Amino acid sequence: MADEHGATGAVLVVGGGISGLTAALEAAEVGNDVFLIEKGPSLGGRVAQMNKYFPKLCPPSCGLEINFRRIRDNRRIRTYTMATVQAVTGAPGNYEVTLSVAPRYVNSNCTACGDCTAACPDEMVNEFNFGLDKAKAIYLPHPMAYPRRYVINKEKLSAAGASAISSACKYGAIDLEMKPETLTVKVTSIVWATGWTPYDAHKMDNLKFGQSPAIVTNMMMERLASPSGPTDGKILRPGDNKPITSIGFVQCAGSRDENHLEYCSHICCMATFKQMSYVREQYPDAEIYVFYIDLRTPGKYEKFRAERMADPKAKFIKGKVADVILEVDGGVTLVAENAVTMEKISQRVDMAVLATGMQPRAALEPMSVAVRQDANGFLLSEADKGYYAAGCAKKAADVVTCAQSSTAAALKALQVSRR
Amino acid sequence: MNVQPDLEFIRQLKTAGGDTLKKCFQCATCSVACPLSTDKKPFPRKEMIWASWGLKDKLVTDPDVFLCHQCGDCTEKCPRGAKPGETLGAIRAYAYQQFAWPQGLAKLTTSAKNLPVLIGLPAVVILIMWLFSALIGVSGLHIPNHEQFAEHGYQHFFGSWNFYWYGKNIAFIALIMGVSALIAIISSWMGVTRMWKAMAADAKINATYRPSVFQFISRFLWPSIWETLQHKRFKECKTNSDRVSGHLPLVLAFIGLFLATCWSLIKNDILGLIWPSLHGPLWFWDPIKLIANVAAIAMLYGIWVLWQNRRKMEAEGRASNTFYDWFLIWEVAAVGITGLLAELLRWGGMPGLGYVVYYVHLISVMMLFLYMPYTKFAHIVYRTLAMCFERYRNSSFVQ
Ligand SMILES: Cc1cc2nc3c(=O)[nH]c(=O)nc-3n(C[C@H](O)[C@H](O)[C@H](O)COP(=O)(O)OP(=O)(O)OC[C@H]3O[C@@H](n4cnc5c(N)ncnc54)[C@H](O)[C@@H]3O)c2cc1C
Ligand code: SF4
Ligand code: SF4
Ligand code: SF4
Ligand code: SF4
Repeated sequence: MADEHGATGAVLVVGGGISGLTAALEAAEVGNDVFLIEKGPSLGGRVAQMNKYFPKLCPPSCGLEINFRRIRDNRRIRTYTMATVQAVTGAPGNYEVTLSVAPRYVNSNCTACGDCTAACPDEMVNEFNFGLDKAKAIYLPHPMAYPRRYVINKEKLSAAGASAISSACKYGAIDLEMKPETLTVKVTSIVWATGWTPYDAHKMDNLKFGQSPAIVTNMMMERLASPSGPTDGKILRPGDNKPITSIGFVQCAGSRDENHLEYCSHICCMATFKQMSYVREQYPDAEIYVFYIDLRTPGKYEKFRAERMADPKAKFIKGKVADVILEVDGGVTLVAENAVTMEKISQRVDMAVLATGMQPRAALEPMSVAVRQDANGFLLSEADKGYYAAGCAKKAADVVTCAQSSTAAALKALQVSRR
Repeated sequence: MNVQPDLEFIRQLKTAGGDTLKKCFQCATCSVACPLSTDKKPFPRKEMIWASWGLKDKLVTDPDVFLCHQCGDCTEKCPRGAKPGETLGAIRAYAYQQFAWPQGLAKLTTSAKNLPVLIGLPAVVILIMWLFSALIGVSGLHIPNHEQFAEHGYQHFFGSWNFYWYGKNIAFIALIMGVSALIAIISSWMGVTRMWKAMAADAKINATYRPSVFQFISRFLWPSIWETLQHKRFKECKTNSDRVSGHLPLVLAFIGLFLATCWSLIKNDILGLIWPSLHGPLWFWDPIKLIANVAAIAMLYGIWVLWQNRRKMEAEGRASNTFYDWFLIWEVAAVGITGLLAELLRWGGMPGLGYVVYYVHLISVMMLFLYMPYTKFAHIVYRTLAMCFERYRNSSFVQ
């Protein structure tokens, strides 16, 4: 795409999580045009689902909102939500990319007033909260959503619902006739930042996920602790909303396992330390048990880890939970061998958190464009094609590391455009 | 602790199926997955680390190593493909070698390379005996005619003599099999006493009050055997539950064949003295003969199930292909097939072929006896004694 500032080419960034945002901003701030496309209805990615995130343990709004403002203020970045890549044609340095944009059924008149949601009779599983509660068929993706615009899940919307929300909207923002669109953009290179998905905990049959509401994943725990979550931030046992007196963290649930994800997901040990602090804030006396193989924390987080390890009411058991027994009182018993004492332990807890790992999204959703992947589905950069992988699409990592790899990917993508 | 990896030990483990051992990262999933592992003394995680450290003395005195039934539940759940079940099997193979006597014979049984010798040894011994029987009698090394074959079956394989009290054929069979069995019994005895002493020393047992032979049998040995017969522990296995349906018929078959052999001896050589008409092969409808035939079929069925099962496990990468595991399967299959074939040939009235097959049958039986204490077959004594040891250790004699 020609550019009045002399830059020769535009960059396509696929994925609007923290990595995609970073890559887009880096490329645009150097002076290139950027197309940032996001499959979902809002930018932000997984970070938006966190209660707080390290290193600073600030709520996601503090990082995301700055980025959203910078995106909004940067004329060079054009964002498309509900958009995916359909096809890439042409040669490296001179690509023509076909994007398909799914209908949102809510147009730009939307002021996010929320009247439609209040009027909507149709409910559905709330995916953002991992099914911990219900959402309406017309909803705001999340409190920090960008663009700040509602979206409709038309499959879940009844005829009565359609007329209820249409009449509730005072701004004429609802457009149920909206059609999918395609558009083509010309770019010189592509940054793939398609991110990750929590590994499906149902697959570890011995951990009994799905058989008791007392067993949650670490991402569900983020939602339970989040003020915008299903319990307004109070950590309560799903199912009976009981305050907890004990909790068990099951590390490496599905990671470092040939039968599941064979790699270490790198972040779930830290995530557990972080979530221990959520528990401690709300329950000063709760007993915390952490079952682990070994605790892996990047050097920069050593101090944070030491603080959590010093918790007198926290026990660390070296041994992976290999069996879970459901108890009649709604709790669960975690079974492991403590490799230090060489005894088997059966620990009853009110609630269990499975520290599930991160699986590259590209491993689960076939890419419409051939991008090289390793055996686990992580994307590999292909310099000769001008394809660069960034963030968790490339490697399971924390936000800081993702930002670094995204900056690097953006700079490499720019080099292609300036060849 | 001196952690000098013992290369020879590691090498032996590798050849017997422990090649995956180094992949273990001590997560302890296996100890929970194992249906036989107890809360106070879980296994096989600790065995995995001992093995990778080369602590062979700790391993061979660890009853848990022998209590394992190689069901594969742990291997199934192991996140690293370290195959703990197979590794424990390899440790047992190593332990049998350590406790074995005579060492030379034991060594021989560890490698497929030695198969010519392993088969050749009994083949030659039996052939020599066969030739020898011909030398000292009128009817040795001969192929009987149809009438003789119909009347005596294989009972004149080593010829016959008219000495009333003791059949020539029986004398030779007893000489061959009896001596083989005797070596096996002595060797097993030495092996298990070594094991027992080592285990007692390792568990720091210095009981002042020792059980009498009667107490030992009634309180430790019999309950262990009874438990084994019922396949109680075997049935706890989940992933390879079909192994019970192979192993149980096999065990019952061995018992059945043992009883039939005893009966045949008593009938021919004791009762036959009083009522000479009792001499000769058992009548088809003789109840004992029926048991023997059912047992033979059970044996073939059992080994077929275990054979298939092993093949399947290996194909799915859940077990390693090792000589240690296959040798016993082959041996038992050979005994079963040649035994049944010999009988069929007798009914079919084909003396020439029958005698050759019978010869091979004798070879396979002798192999089974002679190599019992060193091969996978040894588990019948070592596991039983390990079960006794567990009972003993938890009994009032020790506590
Ligand atoms: C329990 C847990 C707690 C964590 N806590 C922290 C923490 O406290 N601090 C920290 O630094 N890190 C934390 N992390 C890691 C953090 O979540 C990741 O580093 C971060 O989400 C990576 O961002 P990303 O942009 O690479 O991927 P994502 O956040 O997954 O974003 C990818 C985006 O791409 C979109 N997308 C996917 N496919 C396509 C496609 N084909 N087309 C268009 N768009 C697509 C997705 O919809 C998504 O919006 C935690 C991880 C876990 C599991
Ligand atoms: S769609 Fe209409 S009613 Fe709903 S939030 Fe937007 S403006 Fe408000
Ligand atoms: S970060 Fe910790 S919990 Fe996660 S896979 Fe690695 S070791 Fe296991
Ligand atoms: S053998 Fe497998 S399951 Fe057992 S501790 Fe080692 S890695 Fe874990
Ligand atoms: S093979 Fe079976 S019995 Fe042996 S250790 Fe593994 S699970 Fe236990």
